[in-house]
Amino acid sequence: MMDVKPDIGFKRELIRMSGSQLNQCMQCGNCSAVCSLAPAERPFPRKEMIWSGWGLKEKLIGNVDVWLCFQCGDCSSYCPRDVKPADVIAAVRQKTYMHYARPRFLGKLVSEPAWLPVAILIPVMVIASILSVAGTFKIPEGPVDYSGFFPHVWLNSTFTLITLLFYGVAFLGLVSFWKDMKRLVPSSGQETGAGSKIFPVLGEILSHSNFSACGSQRTRKIAHMMLFFGFGLLILVTLYAIWASHTGNYPLPFRNPFKIAGNVASLMIYSGLGIMVYQRLFNRSVFGKSSYTDWLLLTAIGLLTLSGTLVQLARFGNWSCAYHLYFFHLVAVWFVIMYLPFTKLGHIFYRTTALLYARSIGRK
Amino acid sequence: MALAVCTGCGIGDGIDMEHLMQVAGEEVDGIACMKHPALCSEEGIDHLLRLVRDAGADRLAIAACSPRVKSEQFRMDGVYVERINLREHVVWVMEPDDEDTQMCAEDHLRMGLANLGAISDIHPYIPEQVHSDILVVGGGLAGLTATLDGASAGYRVHLVEKSDSLGGYAGRLYKLMPALDGHGELREPDTSVLAEQVLAHPEVEVYLDSTIGSISGEPGNFLVQLENGKETSLTVGSVVVSTGWKPYDATRLGHMGYGLSPKIKTLEEFEKHSKREKIPDRVLFILCAGSRDEAHLPYCSSYCCSAALKQALYVRERNPEAQVYIIYRDIRTMGFQEEFYKMVQSDDAIFLTSGVVDSVSPDDARVRVTVKDSLLDEMISLETDMVVLATGMVPSSTEDLQLQYRLGKGLPEIEYSFSDSHFICFPYETRRTGIYAAGTVRAPMDLESSREDGAGAMMKAIQCIECVKRGEAVHPRAGDLTFPELYMDRCTDCKRCTEECPFGAYDEDEKGTPLSNPSRCRRCGICVGSCPERVIGFADFSINSVSAMIKSIHVPDEFEEKPRILVFVCENDAYPALDAAGVNRLKFSPYIRIIPVRCLGSVNKVWISDALSHGYDGILQIGCKPGDDYQCHFIHGSELTEQRGENLQETLETMMLEPERIRTRFVEITDYREIQKIINEYVEELELIGPNPFKSL
Repeated sequence: MMDVKPDIGFKRELIRMSGSQLNQCMQCGNCSAVCSLAPAERPFPRKEMIWSGWGLKEKLIGNVDVWLCFQCGDCSSYCPRDVKPADVIAAVRQKTYMHYARPRFLGKLVSEPAWLPVAILIPVMVIASILSVAGTFKIPEGPVDYSGFFPHVWLNSTFTLITLLFYGVAFLGLVSFWKDMKRLVPSSGQETGAGSKIFPVLGEILSHSNFSACGSQRTRKIAHMMLFFGFGLLILVTLYAIWASHTGNYPLPFRNPFKIAGNVASLMIYSGLGIMVYQRLFNRSVFGKSSYTDWLLLTAIGLLTLSGTLVQLARFGNWSCAYHLYFFHLVAVWFVIMYLPFTKLGHIFYRTTALLYARSIGRK
Repeated sequence: MALAVCTGCGIGDGIDMEHLMQVAGEEVDGIACMKHPALCSEEGIDHLLRLVRDAGADRLAIAACSPRVKSEQFRMDGVYVERINLREHVVWVMEPDDEDTQMCAEDHLRMGLANLGAISDIHPYIPEQVHSDILVVGGGLAGLTATLDGASAGYRVHLVEKSDSLGGYAGRLYKLMPALDGHGELREPDTSVLAEQVLAHPEVEVYLDSTIGSISGEPGNFLVQLENGKETSLTVGSVVVSTGWKPYDATRLGHMGYGLSPKIKTLEEFEKHSKREKIPDRVLFILCAGSRDEAHLPYCSSYCCSAALKQALYVRERNPEAQVYIIYRDIRTMGFQEEFYKMVQSDDAIFLTSGVVDSVSPDDARVRVTVKDSLLDEMISLETDMVVLATGMVPSSTEDLQLQYRLGKGLPEIEYSFSDSHFICFPYETRRTGIYAAGTVRAPMDLESSREDGAGAMMKAIQCIECVKRGEAVHPRAGDLTFPELYMDRCTDCKRCTEECPFGAYDEDEKGTPLSNPSRCRRCGICVGSCPERVIGFADFSINSVSAMIKSIHVPDEFEEKPRILVFVCENDAYPALDAAGVNRLKFSPYIRIIPVRCLGSVNKVWISDALSHGYDGILQIGCKPGDDYQCHFIHGSELTEQRGENLQETLETMMLEPERIRTRFVEITDYREIQKIINEYVEELELIGPNPFKSL
């Protein structure tokens, strides 16, 4: 028996974030019927809609089903009451990042406009302090050489350390997320080890098979693939760059295959972002309402990629503003990479974890 | 007597019209005949008028299309017009230029002429004195609306209310739902304004603290005795019954906690509570409390969902911190109230789920409610400070009308003790002519519908008085000037007519002799069918007139192998269905001979034996669908036919005839394909059985 204590605050948050008139949901179940990803047993998002309407936070946060949704928007397109289930589920995911963020204020930092200056100020201050300690916090003379401004050893060691720190606390959040998933949707008994599901889940993610089933937004798959593989390629390039900076063959010349790969990756990200922004602006009826966090993330990724491209051009062109751009780029890196577990990008961790859990209990 | 034949619409193409007119001449000596290619045209009507005038005829047969069309064109003052339907029933549905079709047309002509020869002149029944005052029983919203509308239309209205004030349930409300579009604010109740208007109207007489002692008489002349400490008697022309409803007895809802704590209330009690007292932080509404439940009220009262939603807004308005929980079966907000439902839904502190309440357990401080089968996916438990049970409507008993009718003091009821009214065709009509039910006494409904009902029933009450003044029947045979005439010398006081009349038109004296009240009559003719002594008849529909029609046709002898099947069709649904079959050019056997009747219940047994001894091979009776959701315009005419059918089978047995020679079938007005099947299959079956042995006698 569920003791129902409606959390009206949580309900109002969901309404605010999703723009959905939650109460208007008449529980017809059309959303679940048209969803190509909903499992046959206890399908989403019908039940999530009534839980949202009753403000049942404890049923929604840490619920694995919320992560099986890829927000294709079919449910919202076919909703006879226009209560946008896709957006409501997205809002629940956003509340999830905030819920598991450790320390708590990190969640607020990247999801509330009022905290944005602080979110920017933190990387600015930290980077400035590192540079001060390293003794290089001034514009170097001569041709542009970023290692003169931020020595590679300092950069690689501090940024790696901070990233690990952030991801470490995020891991703690993921552990309680896993426990909550187990509690809310226990295995029906035919549990297989999560380990054996790692490769199938990676396959699902890489192939974007979950996007393929979507009827309302075919371009989403392409956009996400561009961004996903562009991002992945850039991470590979970055890892190579770190390695190269220690072996001396750095900075990379323009025709270096890795350099070329990096620029191709940037182009992919620009294209993906372009599609995403276009859809959000001109196809709102299908795409639904975009929240602050959504726009913040798109902007951050855009600025990160753009500043990266500019930093590279500034090096080849010996621009006078090169180091300012470089500093800005580092702040953007921080914003996207360090804050990753607490922003919408946190789905990289949460969704992967959830898929792993779902597949291990046979929920599909 | 005169005959006009139309050859338009293809009628002249399939039938030899010259021969038809020759037949008319053989049947009626010196009949004046004419033929026209488009009788309903202006020129055709001119010819027709000339024909009637020149012949000095007061009876006219028109052999053309169905009587259901062109009735205005062919109406003639002082002339009785018989329509012989050659178009829909013969030409359009049978082989053209065929011997059998020709015979069918000629027989239909013979039947029409025979009817004209057998009927008597019509002298309507108009009581010496017809009273125009109207009685309204019950001063709730429907009654007040009816009263004001009636008085405004110039009729004197007597409003009887058993309590000490006007307004009824509507008068006790805290607030009203927003206007019809469902947006905006809850409104202040306005029943008191209506009550003041009624009290101030010079044509209205209000009797508070009064009940009905008795109502006797008939439309135009009801005598009403009031009981209010004084001897008050009124004479009125018609009555509107708006005695309303009471909430379902909540003490029977112990399983929902009623009676265990003052924190568990009904809608009515919470309405009162909202007016004066503080509203707690959490209120839970249980919808369908004792409704749509075989153990309690099996029906939906249609108002409780909206009323509960309205009260949910009371809670939110009076205590903005409060939360409201609504447990429903299905939200049934009728009509435009769906908009109101959406408006209530937009309040985020109102939580809704469907579910079945499992337990309601109050303690000193709060109430715990458990709900199964909820949308929340599992059994849930909720804590609340107050529970409101949305109970349904139970109609007031119409026995309080104290009707001095042989068939009972109240209005006949259909299911669930709501007074019967034909929901689809005649919503305010009860089975007591001149007495019209309005509001929740006839069906569960909300305030708006009650208001509309009051107005509608008053219109009917007025119409009834005006009809009585002209000697006309009210619906469904509106305008009919005939009425049942009884040849009392041969009556054996068998009471068949007094028992079978669906409308209580007959009372009885001590000996059991029927006392006719013609103004109560709906002219269905069920008494004509019921009377074993055949003493009841209408001027244009009597034992003799129909017998004459039956006997007028030429029955070929058995060696010709041309069977004859008599088809009695009910005018209300079966006849239109047959016409529709004609319009759709469905093919029928040419061996059928159709006689329309007022109601299948008006078919007298003697017509059956007349037909069998005249040599018909079979008799088919087609009427409207009987049953709880009856389509029968006269309530149980079709059922009576079924009951009488057993009797008829005995007659067949004594005549040594096969049981298949009589068949009864029921159709809806839309069943035109079905009616084709019924008729043609019957003809085929009879061909197998062989000819009626009485044919050659």
